[in-house]
Amino acid sequence: MTGDHAPAPAFGVPAPGRGLTGEALTTERLAQRLVEAFPGATTDIQHGELTVHVDPGTIIEVLAFCRDDDDFACEMLADLAGVHWPAGDHVVERQASTTGWPEYRTTRERGVIEVQYVVRSVSRNHWLRLSVGVDDDDPRLPTATILYPTANYHEREVYDFFGVDFTGHPDLTRILMPDDWVGHPHRKDYPLGGVDVPYENDQFIPPPDERDLREVVD
Amino acid sequence: MASDQTAGAPAVVHPDDRDELYVDGADWETVVDAVEDETITVNMGPQHPSTHGVLRLVLELDGETVRKLTPIIGYLHTGIEKNAEYRTWVQGTTFFTRMDYLSPLFNETAFSIGVERLLGIEAPERAQAVRVILMEFNRIASHLVWLATGGLELGSTTMMTFGFREREHVLDLFESQSGLRMNHAYIRPGGLAQDVTDDFVERCDALLELLPRKIAEYEALLLRNPIWNDRLRGVGIIDAPTCYAYGVTGPLLRAAGVPWDLRKAAPYSGYDRYEFDVVTEDACDSFARFVVRVEEMRQSLHIIRQALDTLPGGPVMVADKRIAWPSQQSLGADGIGNDPEYIRHIMGESMESLINHFKLVTQGFPVPAGQVYVPVESPRGELGYAMTSSGTNKPYRVHVRDPSFVNLQAADLMTRGHMVADVIAVVASLDPVMGGVDR
Amino acid sequence: MGLESKLPHGILLTNLEKFVNYSRSASLWPATFGLACCAIEMMATGGPRHDMSRFGMEVFRGSPRQADLMIVAGRVSNKMAPVLRRVYDQMSDPKWVLSMGVCATSGGMFNNYALVQGVDHIVPVDMYVPGCPPRPEMLLDGILRLHEKIRGQTFAEQGAHG
Repeated sequence: MTGDHAPAPAFGVPAPGRGLTGEALTTERLAQRLVEAFPGATTDIQHGELTVHVDPGTIIEVLAFCRDDDDFACEMLADLAGVHWPAGDHVVERQASTTGWPEYRTTRERGVIEVQYVVRSVSRNHWLRLSVGVDDDDPRLPTATILYPTANYHEREVYDFFGVDFTGHPDLTRILMPDDWVGHPHRKDYPLGGVDVPYENDQFIPPPDERDLREVVD
Repeated sequence: MASDQTAGAPAVVHPDDRDELYVDGADWETVVDAVEDETITVNMGPQHPSTHGVLRLVLELDGETVRKLTPIIGYLHTGIEKNAEYRTWVQGTTFFTRMDYLSPLFNETAFSIGVERLLGIEAPERAQAVRVILMEFNRIASHLVWLATGGLELGSTTMMTFGFREREHVLDLFESQSGLRMNHAYIRPGGLAQDVTDDFVERCDALLELLPRKIAEYEALLLRNPIWNDRLRGVGIIDAPTCYAYGVTGPLLRAAGVPWDLRKAAPYSGYDRYEFDVVTEDACDSFARFVVRVEEMRQSLHIIRQALDTLPGGPVMVADKRIAWPSQQSLGADGIGNDPEYIRHIMGESMESLINHFKLVTQGFPVPAGQVYVPVESPRGELGYAMTSSGTNKPYRVHVRDPSFVNLQAADLMTRGHMVADVIAVVASLDPVMGGVDR
Repeated sequence: MGLESKLPHGILLTNLEKFVNYSRSASLWPATFGLACCAIEMMATGGPRHDMSRFGMEVFRGSPRQADLMIVAGRVSNKMAPVLRRVYDQMSDPKWVLSMGVCATSGGMFNNYALVQGVDHIVPVDMYVPGCPPRPEMLLDGILRLHEKIRGQTFAEQGAHG
């Protein structure tokens, strides 16, 4: 065990902005190469960050390409996260007239759980985000642990909080919530939970997602 | 062993299936042979003096040797990410600072940089320099706690007292600037909550004079200490390709020889203006991580020196009144709180300022829709904030990629074949902070 | 252990109570139950600057059987609640609970699905110390008030836990 590990590459300290082996591709060139390899993918560069939208069926191929291609050389999966965009009417602030907070109201036909993979190349010093959208009533994706073992905990977390089933995962169980918890807390249709808080004059103020200040003001 | 059977000893039968057992141990080898491939499952934690917080480890042991280690986490899950969706962007700072509670300023900085990138603004240079200074002091404080608790777990109570003694000095500095020893909520989107005090540079100078001597004391205590060496050398090996596969970053990756540091690779908050070395070691074991962390403390002092020498003047908050938290405040006559000048201005002189202040505090500011991922180099590795805005005054979704959460996956690999006591050393050298792991 | 179980209730025992209570308060050993940020401040309270061993308390016992005081330092999640109760039950009488910080006292700033909104939903609490996190001096103040409370308790009150 001792001393039998692979030696680290003998590089010096990378220059700022560059990886360990020098030249990196620009973000635009990365986007171009990806679209050439996967014509179904769409790319989007915002705030200097490259986001690639792929289909759930091709995500494993794209990840493998990012890892194995010489120019991409993404050795590390930095992050795997989920964002829930629910279907129907989604309202963030219901009492704009009383709180003064801007109302946010949007309608979507199809509810989507967007799973984002951030892959990073240490040797070329670039990273990109792969974004996959799955239906939120039966979310399913193939597991990335076959390519990046670090996806193990991340996928368990996305399963725990969004309910996404990663087929082929070695141990897809809840990781942060208790094992017998029902529901997936980070979905937008899951309440914040919390209790009413007693204030003076015998008033009980409900948690922020249940408040209707019109009752209090009247 | 079967050939050593004495006349009276029974054949190799599993103890559960036997009718008689010998109390004097004459049949010990037969017992061992029968149960050779059975392992014992032992549970450590979540309440345990040495598991670094509420971490539960389930060990499968073959005698004293670990065959498999399963961390079970979630005992500190606080729902911070969901709670932040119901608070404004500025209030989010107070939530995320409590996530990784040993490096709160890193959480605050990463979150603030994310909001600033979504807004398309940049904090003023003075704010960035002060952020760097405070973050590096936080790195030192975090490594001191690591040394203190790691030393305590491995038997060195003196290291515990040393570490916390020095940490108090750093916390004094934080308290003088932000008002709190921990969980400061001082670094806000747009800059800082308020300017540093007039004696900031003197205080930092005093610390910069004190700490190098103390770091030399820790090295004198531990570096050539035979107990420290025996317990840490060769324990918990993880090499560079395994680090990549498991997403392990921070001192573990640098102790495997890879000079990867986000402060150099993707500089933020003005880090590219300062010169410092990325500390690496080649041994890949826990001792190498110890050396890396101690040397990183020295490099942090070097960075702070440069930042102090080049500290620019100017505002500490962006000029845009719709975003800027009022921060050029002086203290009131009673020494606390309300700046009389500012109050007179908003109450007596300018209605717009009053409305602006009121809206800013109650409503916050809307942030344009978009997504960012902001990685910073926290003392434990890559701390990343993946933030999504839907265009309102509250975050739509913030996901935190915490280094301890990811590094903990490697614990299994690092402890296989080691003894139970080495599990403590390995978990200590991983430096997990359960607040970050469980969020 | 507990003299309470050996002596009949209601008998006047003032001097004996005073002596026993003083001894109990003078070496109140905490169980290690540090959970989150408050745990770091608790460790700092045991550190050299704010020294808890002045009050006989620097020995944090890993085993709850050997501890008198459980300082619940930090946020208690729903997953941790049964563990907390089990550790409390394992402590032998007389035992006291000090709830350190606002998260242990009332759920703190995290009014959501994940946390128990106050550890007094699970265990009886003798002293609440607010703060986020409380300064070591605040924790010491809470501990010293707890000492006073212990010295003022009768045997009947001390045996009444759980």
